Amino acid sequence: MTRDLDLEAIVGRFYAPLYRFAWSLTKSEAEAADLTQQTFLILAQRSHQIRDVSKVKCWLFTTLRREFLRTVRVHINHPSMEFQPDIHDSPVLSEDAVRVLDAKTVIEALGAVEPTYRTAIELFYLSELSYKEIAKTLDIPIGTVMSRLSRGKEQLKAILAGAIAENGRKIIPMNRDEEAAN
Amino acid sequence: MKKPRTEITNERAKFLLSAYRHNGADAQDPIFRDALEQASRDPDLADWFANQRSFDALLCEKLKSLQPPASLKPAILSGIYSGASKHRFPFGRFLGLAAVLFLSGILLIVMRPGGDRDRRLFSEYQNAAFAVLSEGPKLDFLTSDLSRSQEYLSQRAVPQAPEIPVALHGLPTIGCRAIDWNGKTISLTCFQLPSGQLLHLFVVDAKSFGEISREGGIHEVNGWHVKFRRENGMLLMFISKAPMSELTRYI
Repeated sequence: MTRDLDLEAIVGRFYAPLYRFAWSLTKSEAEAADLTQQTFLILAQRSHQIRDVSKVKCWLFTTLRREFLRTVRVHINHPSMEFQPDIHDSPVLSEDAVRVLDAKTVIEALGAVEPTYRTAIELFYLSELSYKEIAKTLDIPIGTVMSRLSRGKEQLKAILAGAIAENGRKIIPMNRDEEAAN
Repeated sequence: MKKPRTEITNERAKFLLSAYRHNGADAQDPIFRDALEQASRDPDLADWFANQRSFDALLCEKLKSLQPPASLKPAILSGIYSGASKHRFPFGRFLGLAAVLFLSGILLIVMRPGGDRDRRLFSEYQNAAFAVLSEGPKLDFLTSDLSRSQEYLSQRAVPQAPEIPVALHGLPTIGCRAIDWNGKTISLTCFQLPSGQLLHLFVVDAKSFGEISREGGIHEVNGWHVKFRRENGMLLMFISKAPMSELTRYI
């Protein structure tokens, strides 16, 4: 089965973006590493089912997300929730202001975007997937991806603007269970 | 023939261009063509698009600074190759069985005398352990964190080593599993050594095998290194293909 797929090359190419995506989902370095490892193990076990090597990238992100959602459904986990205020206009963010933010603050901001839009923009920023690849990964129409990216980016900018304005206030992510329920 | 130009609103163009990647990877995608043309004609849209790409580029750059732990890639590769070994080497099972039988014979020789029934049972236990490894350990839970492996095994009330050798605490694990064998429960935890080789630790209640003593140094048999240790009623069996010089630093 591994004759068709160069697993080592695939791991080398995708493990870092997969880990980042996993980190954004789990908010935990240890769980992100486990989830990434689990995803590649599933790839090794099922690689004979993958006929088109060019689709491995989408397959990996889809599998990682499915594994995460499966875990979320298994664990009874109800963290506290804090909804962000409604966002109507996309604020103007100066490059300098964004530049001073650290990666973890940006991840927290991504995690605070409404669940409906969140995963699409996480895949866009963390994995640099195209809108077509996001559509395949999430199994949704291309138009829906466009819409989620457009709205999600507006929300993200508003959240980052809020964080910058309040000088690094804590961003509390919305409940992941909502996404699992979708 | 050049396709006629299509006018679209700036709002529609912004909607589309929100999906355009900052690195230009989508430049040839026809879905963006009209929106890109509109941006080249309309200064306001051009400004918005430039800001959007700059914002996206900055975010991607920041997020790329989140680097996976250094141990992750080797752990993934070890996990893949140990888990996929039965697919990659169809003859491995038969070769493994031959090695198991040979190894078991040697181990029986080096053991001190005990009851025939206990010795036979112990031999079967080793056979089962080596069969598990020859097929790939098929771990139930994958983690690089030993404490998470221990937590997983504790939740399943599986026998565990009362004390893990101190040197092993600094090693990443590949994961663990619980094994039901012959009415007994066994735990298996796999560590990753700095050389990339795996070190497998099987733990079972020592009472399962009566009073047979299994202490001793590391035995080398047919490429495998094996060591037993008895601790607080538990029998620990370490198995690895790592060089002896490396193993002696850890077990």
